[in-house]
Amino acid sequence: MNLQVIYCNHHSAALAVRERLAFSSDDLLRAAYDRLRIDFPDSEIVVLSTCNRVELYAAHESPDEAPTHQQIAKFFADFHQIPLDDFVDDLLEQTGPDAVRHLFEVTSSVDSMVLGEPQIVSQVKEAYDVALKNDACGPLTNALFQGALRVSARVRTETKLSEGRVSIASVAVGEFGKSIFDRFDDKSVLIIGAGEMAEETLRYLKEEGVRDIIVVNRSPKRAEELAAEWGGRTEPFDKLDECLVAADVIVSTTGADRPIIDVPRFQQVLEKREGRAVFVLDLGAPRDFEPAVGEIDDSVFLYDIDSLEQTCERNRGKRVKEIERAQRLIEDETTKFMHDVYHQATGPVVKRLREEWHDIRRQEVERLTKKLSHLDAEDIREIEQSIERIVNKLLHPPLKTLKEEAKEGTPHGLIDALKRLFHLSD
Amino acid sequence: MSNVTVFCFLASYLVAFGLEIARWVRQVSINRMVMLAAAAAGMVAHTIYLLNRSGQTGMPPLLSSTHDWMLVLAWLVVGSYLFLTAVNRKLPLGVFLLPVVIFLIVMAYFVSDGPNLSVGPKAAIEQAHSGWVMLHATLLVFGITGVVVGFVLSVMYLYQHRRLKHHQAMVNDLALPSLERLARLNRAAVIISVPLLTLGMLFGVFIGLLSRKGPNPISFADPIVISNAIVWLVMLVFFVWLLATKRPVGKQVAWTTIWACGFLLVTIISLQVLTGGLEAIQTWH
Repeated sequence: MNLQVIYCNHHSAALAVRERLAFSSDDLLRAAYDRLRIDFPDSEIVVLSTCNRVELYAAHESPDEAPTHQQIAKFFADFHQIPLDDFVDDLLEQTGPDAVRHLFEVTSSVDSMVLGEPQIVSQVKEAYDVALKNDACGPLTNALFQGALRVSARVRTETKLSEGRVSIASVAVGEFGKSIFDRFDDKSVLIIGAGEMAEETLRYLKEEGVRDIIVVNRSPKRAEELAAEWGGRTEPFDKLDECLVAADVIVSTTGADRPIIDVPRFQQVLEKREGRAVFVLDLGAPRDFEPAVGEIDDSVFLYDIDSLEQTCERNRGKRVKEIERAQRLIEDETTKFMHDVYHQATGPVVKRLREEWHDIRRQEVERLTKKLSHLDAEDIREIEQSIERIVNKLLHPPLKTLKEEAKEGTPHGLIDALKRLFHLSD
Repeated sequence: MSNVTVFCFLASYLVAFGLEIARWVRQVSINRMVMLAAAAAGMVAHTIYLLNRSGQTGMPPLLSSTHDWMLVLAWLVVGSYLFLTAVNRKLPLGVFLLPVVIFLIVMAYFVSDGPNLSVGPKAAIEQAHSGWVMLHATLLVFGITGVVVGFVLSVMYLYQHRRLKHHQAMVNDLALPSLERLARLNRAAVIISVPLLTLGMLFGVFIGLLSRKGPNPISFADPIVISNAIVWLVMLVFFVWLLATKRPVGKQVAWTTIWACGFLLVTIISLQVLTGGLEAIQTWH
């Protein structure tokens, strides 16, 4: 049995390349599986496509059936209609235990851009489910992906890799926002500007149940796009003060070169807020809110990138310490997995060899006991045991060699040799 | 069982408090289990002690003495702590609640363990209206438990508020309830405890009136009765303010709760200490 993964990820390829190689919709993925079934009919295949990685796992009974690196690269090029030279250097390959270790690391989020992030588990699970639905899996990929999900659960429970948030938006919402507000589904969120950070923060706020989203941006077109994507509405920029009065959460990410909200302006807003708490995330660089705004009133909780980054850094530091523990665990699980795989590969040959030799032993003992009728039961038992020991001792060297070879990978050559030398049928 | 003393459970609660503090420094899963075990062991000893006392006096702990009454109050607070900490592993409640428990137990040392004058003379208790006395004491103890809870919630609110204003993240995977929830619970604690205290006070007046027909009438001019009435009045004013304010600001409510509840607790306990005094120290085991 052979395993391989051919992939590009955030370590090896730029976002522009990953985007072109990605299978961004279910239809595209289904079409990819149809094509893969034609190109590599003897392989079990699972495709994992996220914003940070595109990976193709393949497993096959014999090494001769394995698709080559070039064949897979050509598949990507043909399927996505991209010139091979645009990405071939970004495409990496791992085989055997390295491929298993790679998937275990990916699923456990050791290989993630944001270390310990939880989304990857569901992404791997979904990729596996899609492969199952497309009849692309087999015994080895089933064992591999089920094992990966199990290892991921172990890493999450036995290490602190997932503890503490590490992105600005997640720290802002998870560590501070949730300490101010109990729930977000009854809160009004105001987005000023429509940058990437606003979008990421909105993702976390949406996960917390936010329903009322107002986007205010100098460019109405971008505001409308963002509002449409997240189920919000837009307001013109000149109504900003009214929106500030109504909002419970304010996320500001404008590209302004100086603060757009100063103390006198926000003071006027506060007078109309009747003491309601307001959580302000100033994610602009330079800042959109004058820092002194946070000190006007006890009900204002103002956070800028610097104050959030300190918490992110501390959490990242804690997670890095846990990588070593996670990797030891993954190494242990990889060895176990490979041992099971090789045992499954060599098991049938060992079984057949033992059965055939012991059949011969039994036949010979029967023949001997018929011939030597003067022997009593005790003598026959001694002879039986003696011959059994001889057979076991003769079997020991080849089986030991097979076991040792199996530690390095499936010993196809040795298995074939044993089958031919001892006429072992399949 | 009869050898269980106050020091047994006080020591257990001190150990649990020490471990709660240790959780802030370094989180070890065994730490929490030991902490819960220490607090639970303390509560068992606490319960046995109260049962023993009840057996000795032939009365429920709430009625037998101010000493026992304060220990019942501490027992209720410990029960709440154990339940909430077992349910929510991230909540460092003990840091806020156990000092109150320890304070109540230490203060119980200084108050009388003789018949409880605040709930009526022994003769009155033994009379037919002992049910009213029990109701009076029960309402007061639950009302004051609510006051303790409100006080602790306000301290938690102020800590959480300060942390958020200074952009400090919680350490070691611990988490306090949000400001919004703390404010809501704080309001609920006050709104529940003031009617209980009011009913308790009314039953106290009723018992006082009943006692006038008997041989040992309760004087309404008693300093304890007067001071209790004053603190109740303070709480009532706070209660009305809380209900009348359309949108109270959380931090303002927290500070007011601390002052009002703190005033109530300190007044009640210090009065008991002053009136119980040295006699209690001599008789206490």
